[in-house]
Amino acid sequence: MNTSLTEQTETPADAGVFTLVITGAPYSSQAPQTALDFARATLAANKRIDRVFLYGDGVHLASRLTTPPSDEVNLSEAWAGFLAEHRIPGVACIASALRRGLVNEPEMQRYQLPAYNLRAPFEIAGLGEWVDSVAADSRVLYFHRGN
Amino acid sequence: MSTLIIIDQSPYGSWEGREALDMAFSLAAFDQPVSLVFCGAGVNWLRAGQDAASVEQKSVERNLAAAPIFGVDALLADRIACDQYGLAETDLPDHVAVTDFDPDLLGRFDHIAFAG
Amino acid sequence: MTPLKTLHILNKPPEHPRHAVCLNAIGPEDGLLLTENGVLAVVKPLQVDGGRCFVLEPDLEARGLAGQIGDNQLVSFGDMVELAASAANVISW
Repeated sequence: MNTSLTEQTETPADAGVFTLVITGAPYSSQAPQTALDFARATLAANKRIDRVFLYGDGVHLASRLTTPPSDEVNLSEAWAGFLAEHRIPGVACIASALRRGLVNEPEMQRYQLPAYNLRAPFEIAGLGEWVDSVAADSRVLYFHRGN
Repeated sequence: MSTLIIIDQSPYGSWEGREALDMAFSLAAFDQPVSLVFCGAGVNWLRAGQDAASVEQKSVERNLAAAPIFGVDALLADRIACDQYGLAETDLPDHVAVTDFDPDLLGRFDHIAFAG
Repeated sequence: MTPLKTLHILNKPPEHPRHAVCLNAIGPEDGLLLTENGVLAVVKPLQVDGGRCFVLEPDLEARGLAGQIGDNQLVSFGDMVELAASAANVISW
């Protein structure tokens, strides 16, 4: 970019931190796959991801019971591995998760449910986590279902 | 950091609109500036006389009436979508303003999001 | 390349109602990035008002449209990160 001596224009700094919000479910949409490819490319570019937030149908990505055929990617497993390896928090929104039957041990006990199915390292939390990202300098990208 | 939440899907057929409202109310609860815009089929959220009990859901009318009290700055409805769905300005709730959903509107916000 | 004012990321195919709404919301300093089913829009010339149009290569290849890029710019996920980081604003449609 050309800046003359008389006209100094300030180039805003590139966003260095991303927050990824996934609202599309695995296998019902491409959202988790696209988001994972984007996430890997983000780290490869030496940028940070402060958290990955699952909202709406995206909470299905946090299930530990997903068992796709052996010749398909296990998206839940791939995401869990990525988050654990890079120590990036993965949060499923509690309201979305409970509605859709994604629960961790504390919620299982609270509601006296027969089982829990949340895959580590995903945690359950409220929308406040997402509000934090919006309020901070993080660039928030959403991965919605495509149709 | 002002946010615009867009609702373009009709109520009751899916939960995206409710989840969009939750996003807006959460931002407001944390004192973050937020506005809501209804476009496309989403303008049907604004109809009077919704009786959602018949499909065993909670009506959205009361949630929407409460939005300004909870700190949502503005509720906007896209002019073209209102026309398409036969909603006159007088049919809309008092606190909803008709607007044009265009680059100028979007340019007023730092962050723009759908719930799904 | 001059950073974009707004990067619009569109994964909806042309017949999805949100596709047209997105196109109408693109300003002259903005860019459009087609991903997932959104890449199907390349089969017709895109009227992106003076803006820039980018297409995510893996999604174009997957759908057998690799040869139909037209005037649009093919990008990788790495490019997508750069576009999203350098734009003043990003909207995921």
